[in-house]
Amino acid sequence: MKKYLGPLSKDNPILVQTLGVCSALAVTAQLKPAVVMALSVTVVCACSNFIISLMRNTIPPRIRIIVQLLVVSFFVILVDLLLQSYLYDVSKMLSVFVGLIITNCIIMGRLEAFALSHRPFPSFMDGVMNGLGYGLVLVVVAFFRELLGSGTLWNNQVVPDSWYAAGYLNNGLMILPPMALILIGVIIWAKGPKAV
Amino acid sequence: MKKYTNTYIFLYITALVVVIAVVLTLVSTGLKPRRDRNRQAETYQQILRAAGHDIDRSKAVAAFANLAEPLTDDGQQYRVIFADGSKGTAIRLDGKGLWGPIWGYAVISEDGQTLKGISLDHKSETPGLGAKITEEAFLKSFKGKKLYDKDGNFVSVRVLKPGTSTEIAEENRVDAISGATITSRGVDEMLQGIKSDN
Repeated sequence: MKKYLGPLSKDNPILVQTLGVCSALAVTAQLKPAVVMALSVTVVCACSNFIISLMRNTIPPRIRIIVQLLVVSFFVILVDLLLQSYLYDVSKMLSVFVGLIITNCIIMGRLEAFALSHRPFPSFMDGVMNGLGYGLVLVVVAFFRELLGSGTLWNNQVVPDSWYAAGYLNNGLMILPPMALILIGVIIWAKGPKAV
Repeated sequence: MKKYTNTYIFLYITALVVVIAVVLTLVSTGLKPRRDRNRQAETYQQILRAAGHDIDRSKAVAAFANLAEPLTDDGQQYRVIFADGSKGTAIRLDGKGLWGPIWGYAVISEDGQTLKGISLDHKSETPGLGAKITEEAFLKSFKGKKLYDKDGNFVSVRVLKPGTSTEIAEENRVDAISGATITSRGVDEMLQGIKSDN
């Protein structure tokens, strides 16, 4: 089990490999879309890793990127259809971001670096852990952005009205993507270069 | 490294694409009734919300049968009953935002003078900016606005940047969303189109 834990911290896709940063900026203004996005990426990453690993000995190297894109797109469209059918409100909230999972570099990166050279089960686990490592950062960033930017968590108000009455203001900058970049920078700085 | 012939590559990619296409088509077709039901329920919920009924999406279809009826076959106009029992007309709005379509329903009082409420939705406006058109804070600013000015001319309800226009009376305008000029203009244009339907 321990060998799969790297992506959570030591090899974190966002903090160490700096992959998937663009989507981390886009969906972290609130906690709820961040969690749903993290779960969707985890599912797509794990499933496409598994399938590509099963196919790895038959894929012609010259067209392997095209094959990977096809498999990833297949799962993303599948996830989108399932969300629209069974979790309609969530699918509305994520709107364009579901389609953008296809372009998430973490997924392509894991297919190239891991699934093409490992057996299906380890590949599946690698996908799950990378998705969770990505999700962990999303949730931390979204927590601070929603709390400081909107005074809410999971759409419930947590900053009491009496604070607003006393002159407390939500920080509008927190809502905007640049602040997400700054927060991720701060987390990378706090984590430091140590390999833990 | 194993050598793959061109024939193998062509056959491989063709087979893969066909398999993926068939599976996705089957899933999409199989789930279509469910997706359509969700969309229909959402439309009904939107119309009822514009008329002041806050109803959960799962109950919208049942409630709609009691509270509204279509006036036209194309789904453009509905007769709706407000919470206080009076009646009005819901008119479908269609327009353009910054990134894609925006739409909604405007509910007008029976005498055609007053905008009783509005609901708006969008495909892909920016979260935190244009997407704010769906939020209650913006929607409620439309409630009770007049469609005609004091001289009886049709002006509709304008969506304008706060503090820019003094010619249009307070009762004929609402404040646009700052930072979302183009989406706000789209809403403004949709409301301008109400006249031709009435």
